[in-house]
Amino acid sequence: MPLLQNLISGIKSLLHNEQRSRDMEEELRSFEEASAEEKIRNGVSPHEAHRAARIEMGSLETVKQKVRSTTWESTAESIWQDLRYAVRMLRGSPGFTLIAIASLALGIGANTIIFTLAKGVLLDRLAVPQPNQVRLFAIIRDRRTSPLHSFWGDFYRTPDGRSITHSFSYPVYQLLRQQNLANPALEDLFAFKDLLGQRLTATIDGHADTVSGQLVSGNFYQQLGVQPALGRAIQPSDDTTPGSGPVAVISDGLWARLFGRSPSVIGKTIQLNLIPITIVGVNPPGFTGAASVQISPDVFLPFSMQPTLIPDRKGSLLENPNEWWMSIMGRARPGVSNEAVRSAFAVWLEQDIRATVPVRKNESMPDLVIESGSQGLAAATHDYAAPIYVLSALTGFVLLLACANLANLLLARSAARQREMSVRLALGASRPRVLRQLLTESLLLSSLGGIAGFALGYLGRNIIPHLLSTAWHPAPFYARFDLRIFAFAAAVSIVTGILFGLAPAWLATRTDVNTSLKDAASSATRRRKGLAGRSIVVLQVALSMLLVVGAGLFARSLINLNATSLGFDPHNLLLFAIQAPPARYPAPQDIALHQRIEERLAQVPGVQSVTLIENPLISHNRSNITFLPTGQPKPTGDEQDRDVNGVGQSFFETYRIPILYGRSFGPTDTATSPLVAVINQSLAHTVYPNIDPVGKTFTSNRHQGDHEAIYQIIGVSADAKYDALQEDPPPTFYTLYRQSKEEQFITYTIKTQLSPAAILPALRNAVQSIDKDLPLRDIRTQTEQIEASISQQRLFATLTAGFGILALVLACIGIYGIMAYNVARRTNEIGVRMALGARARQVLFMVLGESSWLAIVGVTAGLIAAVALSRFIGSMLYGLKPADPTTLIAATLILLAVAVAAAYGPARRASHIDPMQALRHE
Amino acid sequence: MPDKPSDLIQGTLEMLILKTLALEPMHGYGIALRIEQISNGVFRVNPGSLFPALTRLERAARIRAEWRATENNRRAKYYLLTDRGRKALKEETQQWGRQLAAITSILEA
Repeated sequence: MPLLQNLISGIKSLLHNEQRSRDMEEELRSFEEASAEEKIRNGVSPHEAHRAARIEMGSLETVKQKVRSTTWESTAESIWQDLRYAVRMLRGSPGFTLIAIASLALGIGANTIIFTLAKGVLLDRLAVPQPNQVRLFAIIRDRRTSPLHSFWGDFYRTPDGRSITHSFSYPVYQLLRQQNLANPALEDLFAFKDLLGQRLTATIDGHADTVSGQLVSGNFYQQLGVQPALGRAIQPSDDTTPGSGPVAVISDGLWARLFGRSPSVIGKTIQLNLIPITIVGVNPPGFTGAASVQISPDVFLPFSMQPTLIPDRKGSLLENPNEWWMSIMGRARPGVSNEAVRSAFAVWLEQDIRATVPVRKNESMPDLVIESGSQGLAAATHDYAAPIYVLSALTGFVLLLACANLANLLLARSAARQREMSVRLALGASRPRVLRQLLTESLLLSSLGGIAGFALGYLGRNIIPHLLSTAWHPAPFYARFDLRIFAFAAAVSIVTGILFGLAPAWLATRTDVNTSLKDAASSATRRRKGLAGRSIVVLQVALSMLLVVGAGLFARSLINLNATSLGFDPHNLLLFAIQAPPARYPAPQDIALHQRIEERLAQVPGVQSVTLIENPLISHNRSNITFLPTGQPKPTGDEQDRDVNGVGQSFFETYRIPILYGRSFGPTDTATSPLVAVINQSLAHTVYPNIDPVGKTFTSNRHQGDHEAIYQIIGVSADAKYDALQEDPPPTFYTLYRQSKEEQFITYTIKTQLSPAAILPALRNAVQSIDKDLPLRDIRTQTEQIEASISQQRLFATLTAGFGILALVLACIGIYGIMAYNVARRTNEIGVRMALGARARQVLFMVLGESSWLAIVGVTAGLIAAVALSRFIGSMLYGLKPADPTTLIAATLILLAVAVAAAYGPARRASHIDPMQALRHE
Repeated sequence: MPDKPSDLIQGTLEMLILKTLALEPMHGYGIALRIEQISNGVFRVNPGSLFPALTRLERAARIRAEWRATENNRRAKYYLLTDRGRKALKEETQQWGRQLAAITSILEA
């Protein structure tokens, strides 16, 4: 209550300042009069009494000031004064203000953008109640000795060379779930599978579209505690037997995109991959499923629909113990430690693996890991954590550089304002009071910069996701703006203001009033101030060096990537995907369909050749499978498996990959003729070191579970890159797609001299003349495909180049500023030197020499830091070492050149000083 | 200089003002005079400490002020004790008594 009253009366007195001042004056006067009257009553003469009363009272103003200073509003008032004064000061030097705000805005804006990303990737949690309770199962296996071979899902290399994955088989999931129900270590287990690459064809009211999907277990919604916004969730009864739940819950996004948020969507039947599915519910807006915290799949379906919806060549995945593909989660139970959970499940997992797959003597069990599932599969975290740390560090350096630049400018200004400070101190202002005034100015600057930076960050929030997305694939994440980002920008602004404002303010108030008033801003304090300014310039140069080296490394990586030899000709190739819906084309009719499309496309005018390809080249997709040469000892572990790609007859011709020995696929290799394969040179060297492989045979279970299928090698091709530009061509063999039993997803590659826009209508017509329900999907050229595969590298090269240029500009301003300031201060001294016979050239070189020294010290410091830090980005570089001498030398030369160029102006001015004028100058 | 003695009674000045006002509402000079008289001239309260103390008390809602006519028909600002002020005075008096007793026993030990 008193607090509120205090606040109210404070605001009242602020609003009625005049009135209050008059009241107080009246009160004091009446005090004085009463005092005088009392004295008169005691017998003092009226004149004496009034005099004594006035002396007792002292200065009216002082008393009023004292009274005022007991209240909080006086502090507010003086801050307001400081603020108004600061605004006046900034408006007085618009050039300085503009540079300051602009450089801060760039620094803070860049940091806001990166923080927005970092928050999305590193901090955001699944939109479910208590996400921190959610646990995610992972296994670490030794690739050479693991009894598990076939995975469909994410995997990452651990530091000790093993492989970590979140994929399990459906039978093992069922067993683990039962064991957990009997002896609960976690709440009931649930499972999901994000159908990332496999988008589904949705036919809604006769209109075909592609949607993304997630398979979920019947208890998924129940265990996560998510209530649909509309309709019902997927229930255990939807997930009992294969095909039992032809139902879907759709995302809020899809509901808005395709159904205009109409409530009548509940109960509507749509077709997914030509299977009728009834929409039973709509997810709440924030819910993104269990895999990603960023983007929600469009439709959620029960696992029971897998065999019909996305049939696999190996049969129903629900019964297949060899295919490891689905992710398991469970909520923690109170009072059960993570270690207890892990050890319980580790025992069960080993039992279940032994019960479902054959384990040989020398094979070792995978290790079970119970991870936090609060961020879902966190694939984004794995893939983007390192780049985001690097980007955060780089933008941090940019901001630090902007701070250093401002500190430098403020330092120069504070020298110019030294008289003002001395006058203030001499008139009785306390040091904290002056410090506060100066800090108010820098905080005002940084707040303005912060506001501009925040606006910049808001406008630019989607730039990076956009740069990482392609026309045929959505961005891997998007930026959600929220209060935390505002708080971040505000905190950064304040810290920045203090960082660049404190040192100059401290130095400014450290002046000895007497000296600086007397000697009028000349030589007495020069040495000390000069040192501060110079060390800031050295810091600026060092930071610029770091950023320029970073830019150089990333730019050279990008150049190396673009110049890398592919082994095939990527030009004039048009790619698109066609999916044969299994409901209409059950195997092997899908093969026949693709064969018909291939033949039809080849006849389209302008098409030079057509090939089908299982995994498009440089698309971060690859397959591998057993390759066991006949008559050789059986290789162990992962050595059994080789990369493979299923292709069309004209693959080598279309991609211009030379056949070195033997022959390519031909018209005689048909679905019914003996199985044939072409191997690449690396595979020939690895498996058949000293013999001619042509004519040799090998067995592979590529032929849909037929382990004994025998392939004959008919030719050896030159090496060509497979899934990534960064990797050397792996040992690979190629099989003919029409000799496989089933092929659902396939990409077509067309070699044509026509532009995509010119030939696409004809291609579309050709496909639709066979089946009008088959859309061409993911249309792009091979060059675009390659570009997209290095979008992250390009992003880094672009951003760091931008940062590097910004750094150079700021360093230029810094060096120019400090040298111009030094020359101005030393006008007198230089005049004396010239009067004593120094020549213009000598003065020129003296100033240039000084700035070169600064640059050399800064560059050396920057070099050391760059070498120390660049190893953190080693894995992001291609074709060069982190301490790349070319880059380091080039960066050094650039910075030295910049330092000399920036100092040239002031140096010239110094060398043109007229001694007569200079000596008169103060 | 004049600040020094009043610093010594910084905390007690407010208590003395409350005590003075407990008898009757009074204006600024009246308070100063009463304190001086009752203390036999030991405490002289100058305006530079009196008025800030009054402002503080007013802000803490222990006293409130109103303009009234004085006995010789001048306008003056009179200060009145509030209920909150009465309670505060009681607490501070007790506390002062305890402290005094403690200090005395230390000094006499």
